Amino acid sequence: MNYTPDFSIVTDNWIVLMRGLVVTIELWIPSVLFGLAIGFLIAQMRLSPRRLLSVPSLVYVELFRDTPVLIQLIWFYYAFPLLIGAQLSPFSAALLGLSLNTSAYCAEIFRGGIRSIHRGQMEAAKAIGMTQAQAMRRVILPQVVKRMLPAFTNRMIEVAKMSSLASVISVHELMYQGRLLSATYYRPFEILTAVAFIYFVLIYPGTFLAGRFEKRLARSN
Amino acid sequence: MSYDWEFGPVLARIDMLLIGLLNTVKIAAVSICLGVLIGLLLAFLRLSPRRILRFPAAAFIEFYRNTPPIVHFFWFFYALPVLLSVSLSPYLAAVLALSTQSGAFYAEVFRGGIVSVERGQWEGARALGMTRSALMRRVILPQAFARMIPPFTERSFELLKTTALASTLAYADLLYQAMLVNAETFRPLEVYTTIAVMYLVLLVTASQLGRYAEHRLTAYQ
Repeated sequence: MNYTPDFSIVTDNWIVLMRGLVVTIELWIPSVLFGLAIGFLIAQMRLSPRRLLSVPSLVYVELFRDTPVLIQLIWFYYAFPLLIGAQLSPFSAALLGLSLNTSAYCAEIFRGGIRSIHRGQMEAAKAIGMTQAQAMRRVILPQVVKRMLPAFTNRMIEVAKMSSLASVISVHELMYQGRLLSATYYRPFEILTAVAFIYFVLIYPGTFLAGRFEKRLARSN
Repeated sequence: MSYDWEFGPVLARIDMLLIGLLNTVKIAAVSICLGVLIGLLLAFLRLSPRRILRFPAAAFIEFYRNTPPIVHFFWFFYALPVLLSVSLSPYLAAVLALSTQSGAFYAEVFRGGIVSVERGQWEGARALGMTRSALMRRVILPQAFARMIPPFTERSFELLKTTALASTLAYADLLYQAMLVNAETFRPLEVYTTIAVMYLVLLVTASQLGRYAEHRLTAYQ
Protein backbone atom coordinates (compact mmCIF):
# COMPACT_ATOMS: atom_id res chain seq x y z
CA MET A 1 0.00 0.00 0.00
CA ASN A 2 2.81 2.43 -0.74
CA TYR A 3 1.18 3.80 -3.87
CA THR A 4 0.68 7.56 -3.84
CA PRO A 5 -2.20 8.59 -6.05
CA ASP A 6 -1.64 11.73 -8.09
CA PHE A 7 -4.91 13.16 -9.29
CA SER A 8 -3.28 15.99 -11.25
CA ILE A 9 -3.35 13.61 -14.23
CA VAL A 10 -7.15 13.84 -14.06
CA THR A 11 -7.34 17.61 -13.76
CA ASP A 12 -4.80 18.02 -16.60
CA ASN A 13 -6.93 15.90 -18.90
CA TRP A 14 -10.27 17.14 -17.65
CA ILE A 15 -11.22 18.45 -21.08
CA VAL A 16 -10.80 14.98 -22.65
CA LEU A 17 -13.10 13.40 -20.07
CA MET A 18 -15.67 16.19 -20.52
CA ARG A 19 -15.63 15.63 -24.27
CA GLY A 20 -16.38 11.98 -23.54
CA LEU A 21 -19.18 12.98 -21.21
CA VAL A 22 -20.78 15.04 -23.98
CA VAL A 23 -20.79 11.98 -26.28
CA THR A 24 -22.24 9.87 -23.43
CA ILE A 25 -25.11 12.35 -23.12
CA GLU A 26 -25.56 12.49 -26.91
CA LEU A 27 -25.95 8.73 -26.87
CA TRP A 28 -28.02 8.54 -23.72
CA ILE A 29 -30.84 11.06 -24.27
CA PRO A 30 -31.74 10.09 -27.88
CA SER A 31 -31.66 6.39 -26.90
CA VAL A 32 -34.17 7.08 -24.14
CA LEU A 33 -36.44 9.12 -26.44
CA PHE A 34 -36.33 6.60 -29.31
CA GLY A 35 -36.81 3.81 -26.78
CA LEU A 36 -39.93 5.48 -25.42
CA ALA A 37 -41.43 6.10 -28.86
CA ILE A 38 -40.72 2.62 -30.25
CA GLY A 39 -41.67 1.05 -26.92
CA PHE A 40 -45.07 2.73 -27.02
CA LEU A 41 -45.77 1.26 -30.48
CA ILE A 42 -44.58 -2.19 -29.40
CA ALA A 43 -46.84 -2.00 -26.34
CA GLN A 44 -49.82 -1.22 -28.58
CA MET A 45 -48.99 -4.28 -30.67
CA ARG A 46 -48.57 -6.41 -27.54
CA LEU A 47 -52.02 -5.34 -26.32
CA SER A 48 -53.67 -5.98 -29.66
CA PRO A 49 -56.22 -8.80 -29.77
CA ARG A 50 -54.76 -9.87 -33.14
CA ARG A 51 -52.17 -12.60 -32.75
CA LEU A 52 -50.45 -11.44 -35.94
CA LEU A 53 -49.47 -8.29 -34.04
CA SER A 54 -49.13 -9.54 -30.48
CA VAL A 55 -46.91 -12.59 -31.11
CA PRO A 56 -44.12 -10.82 -33.07
CA SER A 57 -44.01 -8.04 -30.50
CA LEU A 58 -43.72 -10.61 -27.70
CA VAL A 59 -40.80 -12.26 -29.51
CA TYR A 60 -39.18 -8.85 -30.01
CA VAL A 61 -39.46 -7.95 -26.34
CA GLU A 62 -38.14 -11.31 -25.11
CA LEU A 63 -35.29 -11.28 -27.63
CA PHE A 64 -33.98 -7.98 -26.32
CA ARG A 65 -34.60 -8.70 -22.65
CA ASP A 66 -33.11 -12.20 -22.65
CA THR A 67 -29.74 -11.48 -24.28
CA PRO A 68 -26.90 -9.36 -22.84
CA VAL A 69 -26.91 -5.79 -24.13
CA LEU A 70 -23.19 -6.05 -24.95
CA ILE A 71 -23.99 -8.86 -27.41
CA GLN A 72 -26.66 -6.66 -28.97
CA LEU A 73 -24.23 -3.76 -29.45
CA ILE A 74 -21.58 -6.03 -30.94
CA TRP A 75 -24.16 -7.68 -33.16
CA PHE A 76 -25.40 -4.34 -34.48
CA TYR A 77 -21.85 -3.14 -35.10
CA TYR A 78 -20.19 -6.23 -36.61
CA ALA A 79 -23.01 -8.46 -37.86
CA PHE A 80 -25.94 -6.26 -38.84
CA PRO A 81 -24.05 -4.25 -41.54
CA LEU A 82 -23.45 -7.50 -43.47
CA LEU A 83 -27.16 -8.12 -43.49
CA ILE A 84 -28.09 -4.70 -44.83
CA GLY A 85 -24.97 -4.32 -46.96
CA ALA A 86 -24.04 -0.91 -45.52
CA GLN A 87 -21.44 0.22 -43.02
CA LEU A 88 -22.64 1.63 -39.69
CA SER A 89 -20.56 4.08 -37.69
CA PRO A 90 -19.86 2.95 -34.09
CA PHE A 91 -22.10 5.72 -32.82
CA SER A 92 -25.09 4.79 -34.99
CA ALA A 93 -24.67 1.08 -34.16
CA ALA A 94 -24.63 1.93 -30.46
CA LEU A 95 -27.60 4.26 -30.81
CA LEU A 96 -29.54 1.59 -32.69
CA GLY A 97 -28.70 -1.14 -30.18
CA LEU A 98 -29.46 0.97 -27.12
CA SER A 99 -32.70 2.40 -28.54
CA LEU A 100 -34.09 -1.00 -29.50
CA ASN A 101 -33.02 -2.54 -26.18
CA THR A 102 -34.67 0.31 -24.28
CA SER A 103 -37.81 0.07 -26.41
CA ALA A 104 -38.29 -3.56 -25.33
CA TYR A 105 -38.19 -2.61 -21.64
CA CYS A 106 -40.32 0.50 -22.17
CA ALA A 107 -42.92 -1.58 -24.00
CA GLU A 108 -43.31 -3.72 -20.89
CA ILE A 109 -43.67 -0.62 -18.70
CA PHE A 110 -46.34 0.83 -21.02
CA ARG A 111 -48.13 -2.49 -21.23
CA GLY A 112 -48.15 -2.94 -17.46
CA GLY A 113 -49.34 0.63 -16.94
CA ILE A 114 -52.10 0.51 -19.55
CA ARG A 115 -53.35 -2.86 -18.32
CA SER A 116 -53.50 -1.57 -14.74
CA ILE A 117 -56.38 0.73 -15.77
CA HIS A 118 -59.73 -0.95 -15.38
CA ARG A 119 -61.22 -2.17 -18.65
CA GLY A 120 -64.44 -0.32 -17.90
CA GLN A 121 -62.70 2.97 -18.56
CA MET A 122 -61.82 2.06 -22.11
CA GLU A 123 -65.32 0.70 -22.67
CA ALA A 124 -66.93 3.83 -21.28
CA ALA A 125 -64.71 6.07 -23.43
CA LYS A 126 -65.68 4.09 -26.52
CA ALA A 127 -69.34 4.13 -25.49
CA ILE A 128 -69.35 7.92 -25.59
CA GLY A 129 -67.95 7.79 -29.11
CA MET A 130 -64.18 8.14 -28.71
CA THR A 131 -61.88 6.28 -31.06
CA GLN A 132 -59.23 3.94 -29.63
CA ALA A 133 -56.55 6.62 -30.09
CA GLN A 134 -58.66 9.33 -28.47
CA ALA A 135 -59.51 7.13 -25.51
CA MET A 136 -55.84 6.28 -25.09
CA ARG A 137 -54.78 9.92 -25.22
CA ARG A 138 -57.58 11.49 -23.18
CA VAL A 139 -58.51 8.81 -20.67
CA ILE A 140 -55.92 6.07 -20.23
CA LEU A 141 -52.51 7.76 -20.60
CA PRO A 142 -53.12 10.71 -18.24
CA GLN A 143 -53.89 8.21 -15.49
CA VAL A 144 -50.98 5.86 -16.09
CA VAL A 145 -48.19 8.38 -16.61
CA LYS A 146 -47.97 8.96 -12.86
CA ARG A 147 -47.82 5.22 -12.17
CA MET A 148 -45.16 4.63 -14.80
CA LEU A 149 -42.90 7.52 -13.83
CA PRO A 150 -40.68 5.61 -11.33
CA ALA A 151 -40.20 2.75 -13.79
CA PHE A 152 -39.25 5.13 -16.61
CA THR A 153 -36.81 6.99 -14.40
CA ASN A 154 -35.18 3.66 -13.52
CA ARG A 155 -34.96 2.83 -17.21
CA MET A 156 -33.20 6.14 -17.87
CA ILE A 157 -30.64 5.25 -15.22
CA GLU A 158 -30.09 1.85 -16.81
CA VAL A 159 -29.58 3.41 -20.25
CA ALA A 160 -26.99 5.82 -18.83
CA LYS A 161 -25.14 2.82 -17.42
CA MET A 162 -25.51 0.77 -20.60
CA SER A 163 -24.17 3.63 -22.72
CA SER A 164 -20.72 2.92 -21.20
CA LEU A 165 -20.70 -0.39 -23.12
CA ALA A 166 -20.47 1.59 -26.37
CA SER A 167 -16.77 2.01 -25.49
CA VAL A 168 -16.32 -1.64 -26.51
CA ILE A 169 -17.28 -0.79 -30.10
CA SER A 170 -15.06 2.35 -29.85
CA VAL A 171 -17.65 5.08 -29.53
CA HIS A 172 -15.67 7.97 -28.05
CA GLU A 173 -17.77 8.36 -24.94
CA LEU A 174 -16.69 8.78 -21.33
CA MET A 175 -15.57 5.22 -20.63
CA TYR A 176 -13.65 5.07 -23.91
CA GLN A 177 -11.79 8.29 -23.10
CA GLY A 178 -11.06 6.96 -19.63
CA ARG A 179 -9.62 3.74 -21.03
CA LEU A 180 -7.58 5.68 -23.57
CA LEU A 181 -6.17 8.06 -20.97
CA SER A 182 -5.32 5.31 -18.51
CA ALA A 183 -3.50 3.37 -21.23
CA THR A 184 -1.64 6.49 -22.41
CA TYR A 185 -0.39 7.69 -19.04
CA TYR A 186 -0.49 4.36 -17.22
CA ARG A 187 -2.39 5.94 -14.36
CA PRO A 188 -5.43 3.61 -14.28
CA PHE A 189 -6.21 4.13 -10.61
CA GLU A 190 -6.66 7.90 -10.76
CA ILE A 191 -8.38 7.99 -14.13
CA LEU A 192 -10.78 5.08 -13.67
CA THR A 193 -11.73 6.32 -10.20
CA ALA A 194 -12.44 9.76 -11.68
CA VAL A 195 -14.53 8.18 -14.46
CA ALA A 196 -16.53 6.25 -11.87
CA PHE A 197 -17.21 9.48 -9.95
CA ILE A 198 -18.30 11.34 -13.09
CA TYR A 199 -20.78 8.54 -13.84
CA PHE A 200 -21.99 8.67 -10.25
CA VAL A 201 -22.63 12.42 -10.48
CA LEU A 202 -24.45 11.89 -13.78
CA ILE A 203 -26.62 8.99 -12.59
CA TYR A 204 -27.30 9.65 -8.91
CA PRO A 205 -29.83 12.49 -9.46
CA GLY A 206 -31.94 10.03 -11.45
CA THR A 207 -31.89 7.45 -8.66
CA PHE A 208 -32.79 10.14 -6.16
CA LEU A 209 -35.68 11.31 -8.35
CA ALA A 210 -36.95 7.76 -8.88
CA GLY A 211 -37.03 7.27 -5.11
CA ARG A 212 -39.01 10.50 -4.67
CA PHE A 213 -41.51 9.52 -7.39
CA GLU A 214 -41.99 6.13 -5.76
CA LYS A 215 -42.64 7.67 -2.34
CA ARG A 216 -45.09 10.17 -3.75
CA LEU A 217 -46.90 7.43 -5.64
CA ALA A 218 -47.10 5.27 -2.50
CA ARG A 219 -48.60 8.20 -0.59
CA SER A 220 -51.20 9.03 -3.23
CA ASN A 221 -52.46 5.45 -3.36
CA MET B 1 -30.43 -8.48 -48.50
CA SER B 2 -28.55 -11.02 -50.60
CA TYR B 3 -26.33 -12.30 -47.83
CA ASP B 4 -25.41 -15.99 -48.03
CA TRP B 5 -25.62 -17.52 -44.58
CA GLU B 6 -22.85 -20.02 -43.99
CA PHE B 7 -22.93 -21.63 -40.56
CA GLY B 8 -20.51 -24.47 -41.40
CA PRO B 9 -17.24 -22.85 -40.21
CA VAL B 10 -18.93 -21.70 -37.00
CA LEU B 11 -20.49 -25.06 -36.22
CA ALA B 12 -17.12 -26.71 -36.84
CA ARG B 13 -15.83 -24.69 -33.87
CA ILE B 14 -18.83 -25.22 -31.64
CA ASP B 15 -16.59 -26.86 -29.01
CA MET B 16 -14.86 -23.49 -28.47
CA LEU B 17 -18.23 -21.84 -27.95
CA LEU B 18 -19.34 -24.57 -25.55
CA ILE B 19 -16.22 -24.01 -23.45
CA GLY B 20 -17.17 -20.34 -23.39
CA LEU B 21 -20.72 -21.17 -22.33
CA LEU B 22 -19.39 -23.33 -19.50
CA ASN B 23 -17.08 -20.53 -18.33
CA THR B 24 -19.99 -18.07 -18.41
CA VAL B 25 -22.08 -20.37 -16.21
CA LYS B 26 -19.13 -20.93 -13.88
CA ILE B 27 -18.35 -17.25 -13.34
CA ALA B 28 -22.05 -16.47 -12.83
CA ALA B 29 -22.46 -19.23 -10.22
CA VAL B 30 -19.35 -18.20 -8.27
CA SER B 31 -20.35 -14.52 -8.39
CA ILE B 32 -23.91 -15.20 -7.23
CA CYS B 33 -22.61 -17.16 -4.20
CA LEU B 34 -20.07 -14.48 -3.25
CA GLY B 35 -22.57 -11.72 -4.04
CA VAL B 36 -25.09 -13.21 -1.62
CA LEU B 37 -22.47 -13.26 1.16
CA ILE B 38 -21.47 -9.64 0.47
CA GLY B 39 -25.13 -8.67 0.19
CA LEU B 40 -25.99 -10.26 3.55
CA LEU B 41 -23.11 -8.45 5.22
CA LEU B 42 -24.07 -5.11 3.65
CA ALA B 43 -27.76 -5.50 4.49
CA PHE B 44 -26.86 -6.35 8.08
CA LEU B 45 -24.68 -3.22 8.33
CA ARG B 46 -27.28 -1.09 6.57
CA LEU B 47 -29.99 -2.11 9.07
CA SER B 48 -27.77 -1.52 12.09
CA PRO B 49 -28.99 1.16 14.51
CA ARG B 50 -25.41 2.51 14.68
CA ARG B 51 -24.65 5.28 12.21
CA ILE B 52 -21.00 4.33 12.00
CA LEU B 53 -21.97 0.97 10.49
CA ARG B 54 -24.99 2.15 8.57
CA PHE B 55 -23.43 5.05 6.73
CA PRO B 56 -20.45 3.34 5.02
CA ALA B 57 -22.68 0.47 3.90
CA ALA B 58 -25.20 2.92 2.42
CA ALA B 59 -22.44 4.82 0.61
CA PHE B 60 -21.00 1.59 -0.80
CA ILE B 61 -24.40 0.40 -2.02
CA GLU B 62 -25.30 3.75 -3.60
CA PHE B 63 -21.95 4.02 -5.31
CA TYR B 64 -22.24 0.60 -6.90
CA ARG B 65 -25.85 1.07 -7.91
CA ASN B 66 -25.10 4.35 -9.65
CA THR B 67 -22.01 3.51 -11.69
CA PRO B 68 -21.82 1.32 -14.82
CA PRO B 69 -20.59 -2.27 -14.35
CA ILE B 70 -17.91 -1.94 -17.04
CA VAL B 71 -16.20 0.70 -14.88
CA HIS B 72 -16.07 -1.81 -12.01
CA PHE B 73 -14.56 -4.45 -14.27
CA PHE B 74 -11.81 -2.11 -15.47
CA TRP B 75 -11.27 -0.70 -12.03
CA PHE B 76 -10.68 -4.13 -10.50
CA PHE B 77 -8.51 -5.30 -13.38
CA TYR B 78 -6.36 -2.22 -13.99
CA ALA B 79 -6.66 0.12 -11.01
CA LEU B 80 -6.77 -2.14 -7.96
CA PRO B 81 -3.53 -4.01 -8.86
CA VAL B 82 -1.70 -0.67 -9.07
CA LEU B 83 -3.01 0.33 -5.67
CA LEU B 84 -2.13 -2.93 -3.95
CA SER B 85 0.84 -3.78 -6.18
CA VAL B 86 -0.56 -7.25 -6.86
CA SER B 87 -1.64 -8.72 -10.15
CA LEU B 88 -5.14 -10.13 -10.68
CA SER B 89 -6.11 -12.67 -13.30
CA PRO B 90 -9.01 -11.66 -15.57
CA TYR B 91 -11.12 -14.33 -13.86
CA LEU B 92 -10.42 -13.01 -10.37
CA ALA B 93 -10.97 -9.37 -11.37
CA ALA B 94 -14.25 -10.27 -13.08
CA VAL B 95 -15.47 -12.27 -10.07
CA LEU B 96 -14.58 -9.40 -7.74
CA ALA B 97 -16.37 -6.86 -9.95
CA LEU B 98 -19.47 -9.03 -10.41
CA SER B 99 -19.79 -10.12 -6.80
CA THR B 100 -19.29 -6.69 -5.24
CA GLN B 101 -21.70 -5.13 -7.70
CA SER B 102 -24.36 -7.80 -7.26
CA GLY B 103 -23.69 -7.70 -3.51
CA ALA B 104 -24.79 -4.07 -3.48
CA PHE B 105 -28.01 -4.99 -5.31
CA TYR B 106 -28.65 -8.10 -3.20
CA ALA B 107 -28.21 -5.99 -0.05
CA GLU B 108 -31.11 -3.82 -1.18
CA VAL B 109 -33.16 -6.93 -1.94
CA PHE B 110 -32.56 -8.33 1.54
CA ARG B 111 -33.13 -5.00 3.26
CA GLY B 112 -36.27 -4.33 1.19
CA GLY B 113 -37.70 -7.71 2.22
CA ILE B 114 -37.05 -7.10 5.92
CA VAL B 115 -38.38 -3.55 6.08
CA SER B 116 -41.48 -4.54 4.08
CA VAL B 117 -42.75 -6.63 7.01
CA GLU B 118 -45.54 -4.61 8.63
CA ARG B 119 -44.88 -2.71 11.85
CA GLY B 120 -47.57 -4.62 13.70
CA GLN B 121 -45.56 -7.81 13.29
CA TRP B 122 -42.51 -6.26 14.93
CA GLU B 123 -44.57 -4.73 17.72
CA GLY B 124 -46.52 -7.93 18.30
CA ALA B 125 -43.36 -10.00 18.57
CA ARG B 126 -41.78 -7.49 20.93
CA ALA B 127 -44.94 -7.37 23.04
CA LEU B 128 -44.62 -11.13 23.50
CA GLY B 129 -41.19 -10.49 24.98
CA MET B 130 -39.02 -11.81 22.13
CA THR B 131 -35.44 -10.64 21.91
CA ARG B 132 -34.31 -9.00 18.68
CA SER B 133 -32.70 -12.18 17.39
CA ALA B 134 -35.70 -14.35 18.28
CA LEU B 135 -38.04 -11.82 16.66
CA MET B 136 -35.96 -11.84 13.50
CA ARG B 137 -35.68 -15.61 13.33
CA ARG B 138 -39.25 -16.51 14.21
CA VAL B 139 -41.37 -13.69 12.86
CA ILE B 140 -39.65 -11.34 10.43
CA LEU B 141 -37.27 -13.45 8.33
CA PRO B 142 -39.75 -16.22 7.44
CA GLN B 143 -42.11 -13.60 6.03
CA ALA B 144 -39.40 -11.46 4.48
CA PHE B 145 -37.82 -14.47 2.78
CA ALA B 146 -40.81 -15.09 0.51
CA ARG B 147 -40.85 -11.44 -0.56
CA MET B 148 -37.13 -11.48 -1.36
CA ILE B 149 -37.35 -14.34 -3.86
CA PRO B 150 -38.75 -12.51 -6.93
CA PRO B 151 -36.30 -9.56 -6.80
CA PHE B 152 -33.50 -12.00 -5.96
CA THR B 153 -34.09 -14.09 -9.08
CA GLU B 154 -34.38 -10.93 -11.15
CA ARG B 155 -31.02 -9.65 -9.89
CA SER B 156 -29.37 -13.02 -10.54
CA PHE B 157 -30.77 -12.93 -14.07
CA GLU B 158 -29.21 -9.47 -14.55
CA LEU B 159 -25.91 -10.78 -13.20
CA LEU B 160 -25.94 -13.61 -15.71
CA LYS B 161 -26.27 -11.04 -18.50
CA THR B 162 -23.54 -8.85 -17.01
CA THR B 163 -21.02 -11.73 -17.16
CA ALA B 164 -20.61 -10.92 -20.88
CA LEU B 165 -18.52 -7.91 -19.77
CA ALA B 166 -15.82 -10.28 -18.48
CA SER B 167 -14.86 -10.74 -22.14
CA THR B 168 -13.49 -7.18 -22.16
CA LEU B 169 -10.85 -8.37 -19.66
CA ALA B 170 -10.03 -11.35 -21.93
CA TYR B 171 -11.71 -13.90 -19.68
CA ALA B 172 -12.67 -16.84 -21.90
CA ASP B 173 -16.44 -16.53 -21.54
CA LEU B 174 -18.93 -17.13 -24.36
CA LEU B 175 -18.51 -13.68 -25.92
CA TYR B 176 -14.69 -13.85 -25.82
CA GLN B 177 -14.69 -17.30 -27.38
CA ALA B 178 -17.00 -15.96 -30.07
CA MET B 179 -14.49 -13.20 -30.82
CA LEU B 180 -11.81 -15.88 -31.26
CA VAL B 181 -14.05 -17.91 -33.57
CA ASN B 182 -14.82 -14.74 -35.51
CA ALA B 183 -11.11 -14.03 -35.94
CA GLU B 184 -10.62 -17.52 -37.37
CA THR B 185 -13.68 -17.68 -39.62
CA PHE B 186 -14.39 -14.03 -40.58
CA ARG B 187 -18.08 -14.81 -40.22
CA PRO B 188 -19.30 -12.17 -37.72
CA LEU B 189 -22.96 -12.43 -38.65
CA GLU B 190 -23.10 -16.20 -38.10
CA VAL B 191 -20.86 -16.17 -35.02
CA TYR B 192 -22.65 -13.38 -33.17
CA THR B 193 -26.07 -14.67 -34.16
CA THR B 194 -25.13 -18.13 -32.88
CA ILE B 195 -23.98 -16.86 -29.51
CA ALA B 196 -27.00 -14.56 -29.23
CA VAL B 197 -29.15 -17.69 -29.58
CA MET B 198 -26.95 -19.51 -27.04
CA TYR B 199 -27.36 -16.67 -24.56
CA LEU B 200 -31.08 -16.65 -25.26
CA VAL B 201 -31.38 -20.36 -24.51
CA LEU B 202 -29.25 -20.01 -21.37
CA LEU B 203 -31.19 -17.02 -20.06
CA VAL B 204 -34.63 -18.38 -20.87
CA THR B 205 -33.68 -21.64 -19.13
CA ALA B 206 -32.39 -19.68 -16.14
CA SER B 207 -35.54 -17.59 -15.90
CA GLN B 208 -37.73 -20.71 -16.12
CA LEU B 209 -35.67 -22.34 -13.36
CA GLY B 210 -36.02 -19.15 -11.34
CA ARG B 211 -39.78 -19.15 -11.81
CA TYR B 212 -39.97 -22.81 -10.84
CA ALA B 213 -37.89 -22.20 -7.70
CA GLU B 214 -40.03 -19.19 -6.83
CA HIS B 215 -43.16 -21.28 -7.21
CA ARG B 216 -41.81 -24.10 -5.04
CA LEU B 217 -40.41 -21.85 -2.33
CA THR B 218 -43.64 -19.91 -1.94
CA ALA B 219 -45.94 -22.92 -2.34
CA TYR B 220 -46.87 -22.88 1.34
CA GLN B 221 -48.64 -19.54 1.00
